[in-house]
Amino acid sequence: MKTKVLMAILAVVIAGLIAVPWIASYFYVFIFTEILILGLFAASFNLIFGYTGMLSFGHAAFFGIGAYATALVLIHLEWPFLVCLLVSMGASALLALMIGFLSVRLNEVYFAMLTLAFGMMVFAIAYQWRSVTNGSDGLAGFTLGSFGLGLDLTLANPSVYYHVVLGIVAIAAIVLYLICRSSFGMILKAIRQNPERVSFAGLNVRTYRLVAFVIAGTFAGLAGGLIAPFLRVASPELLHWSMSAEPILMAILGGTGFFLGPFIGSAAFVLLETWITTYTESWMLVLGIILALMVIFFRKGLLGTAIDWWMEVKK
Amino acid sequence: MKSISIKKLMVAMTATATLGTAGISYADDPIRIGGLYILSGSAATYGEFAQKGIDLAVDEINGSGGILGRQVEMIYEDTQGKASVAIQAARKLVYSEGADALVGLDSSGVAQGMVPTMPELQKPLIITHAATPDVTGKLCNSFTYRISVNVAQNMKAAALVAAETDATNWTTIGPDYAFGHQSWEFFGNYLKEINPDVNLMSETNFPRFGAEDFTPFIDRVMDSDAEGVLISVWGGDLVNFVRQANTRGFFEKDLEVMFTVGAATEVLTALGEEMPEGVHLSTRYWYEAYDNDINERFVKAYLDAYGNPPSYNAEGAYAAMYAYKQAMEAAGSTEGPAVAKALSGMSMEAPNGTVTFRKGDNQAMVSPNWGVSGPMHPEHGIRTLNNLQIFDGEKVARTVEETGCKL
Repeated sequence: MKTKVLMAILAVVIAGLIAVPWIASYFYVFIFTEILILGLFAASFNLIFGYTGMLSFGHAAFFGIGAYATALVLIHLEWPFLVCLLVSMGASALLALMIGFLSVRLNEVYFAMLTLAFGMMVFAIAYQWRSVTNGSDGLAGFTLGSFGLGLDLTLANPSVYYHVVLGIVAIAAIVLYLICRSSFGMILKAIRQNPERVSFAGLNVRTYRLVAFVIAGTFAGLAGGLIAPFLRVASPELLHWSMSAEPILMAILGGTGFFLGPFIGSAAFVLLETWITTYTESWMLVLGIILALMVIFFRKGLLGTAIDWWMEVKK
Repeated sequence: MKSISIKKLMVAMTATATLGTAGISYADDPIRIGGLYILSGSAATYGEFAQKGIDLAVDEINGSGGILGRQVEMIYEDTQGKASVAIQAARKLVYSEGADALVGLDSSGVAQGMVPTMPELQKPLIITHAATPDVTGKLCNSFTYRISVNVAQNMKAAALVAAETDATNWTTIGPDYAFGHQSWEFFGNYLKEINPDVNLMSETNFPRFGAEDFTPFIDRVMDSDAEGVLISVWGGDLVNFVRQANTRGFFEKDLEVMFTVGAATEVLTALGEEMPEGVHLSTRYWYEAYDNDINERFVKAYLDAYGNPPSYNAEGAYAAMYAYKQAMEAAGSTEGPAVAKALSGMSMEAPNGTVTFRKGDNQAMVSPNWGVSGPMHPEHGIRTLNNLQIFDGEKVARTVEETGCKL
């Protein structure tokens, strides 16, 4: 019964998301595009954080490389949009394999520091390699061409782009969800809870951690490939460590224990930022207070707390 | 006899009453103009000075009947000096706040990112500060205008100033983004053209924008055989730079020092006597350079209101509001495409004389000012400018063909 109600709520939310360009003011088309893209970024991060228990401080490296890959392809090769996204995913998968290979062997704070260091290395390259990345200004001024697959879509139209993003994020989320639900996903959860035991069961923990890291990086790259045409610029800020903090905040805000938690976190993050910055410049202060309260009182995040409350009340 | 116009009162009252219903535009609604400036961080004074200039213009315009009989209302957003933030902020201003037109942009990097998105918004943008040649060059479009001097104009003037000095070995210290790099590129090209014997040193210095420690770069220039140095560091960075250069004895060295935006009054006010005498300073508008009624009125009103002389950023922002007034009245509407069209080729009177938005690239033909820092001003608490040179905006501009702009 309760699952049915939850499914019904989910269906309403999806229908609402599809209808955003028709029911909400034009500005919210942009807001929801951003929410979806950052939600995917946060969900990819949660695969290694919430499921596998690895706190990475360098996840923006894959997000950023995806953005730069799409921007570079659009500027120099003008390939169709879908191909750009595949290039972004490929580039970030490769980078995740390299960084992951060197990082997953370490645990806890050492893993966090190593990913932070690699993330900042990637940032430094983007910042300084002016001839390719245009340095601190980033890549801008690219135009959106065709979508691919012979579909005639005007990507420069924000409503069209929103629906494209919604479709791609939905597919990516389903794939991520299936990965989480698979036996592979179960092993990741087991690794989070007790890596020694998984190891004694004869499984190579390091390989599982590496594969999870690469999958997460690849989906972050996809999100990055979506953000560059949305922002119309791929700048080093997308690779900065402060960008790596955003999926962490979103995951905690929404709830790391639930697959959709990071998406809820992304929505809360972006909406709060939009509303609060209308009134005050000190949005980070407000965010800090909210986060502190969340961590102290609502460890399960917005989604987790809401579901718990609902399960309690409606017994 | 003094009488309050009943109509004006009614307009004000209905404007207040309908304030809550943004999005739907009534004839009596205020005209909304969105301002995009840096309002936080080390360059925030530029945003503040622009706001001061705009507030002055808006008060004057509203006090004399508004635009097309409607009051003008400003809405500001902080760009944080980042392109992605500015693009989102512009979308917010246009789609959520119902802005009819946009002014602003302090940073070249921001301008390069944002300008290509202007045709999507279908609203005009007048750039009042950001100087990259690209936005009225290869990235130009029919919605983007600039009322302030660009890098190409200012560096042509700089090269003419530099050619008069004895220095042959030149290097640069500039912020590590579009503005710093393009300043050096244009300066070098123009100077080489005028005097092929100059040596543009390969050892250049590009500290990060917002870097707090400039001493390594100062030391490097002092240790090199540079005879002239072009410094395009600006804003709070420039204040830090000059203070650190003073402690290193940088200005005692026999160097021709050229600050490309050194005569910004934001910087001169912050530095006071710390800005040395005898260095070349430039600005896009020097408040004592123009002898006309509008300038006299503007400078007086600004001094009365804020206590310090107006900066180029305040002047550009102030003039931009009058540009919109003239364009909207010429178009007879506030529709974005109509206003943008009216701006094309338009001439107007501004504090810095007659300003014309050139038809081919939408760049205003305004004049860069260069001078040499002199004694302190007895009242204004800033350095004066000697040997003031007012370059002809059109003569130092690139030709439309050279800009690469195709409208």
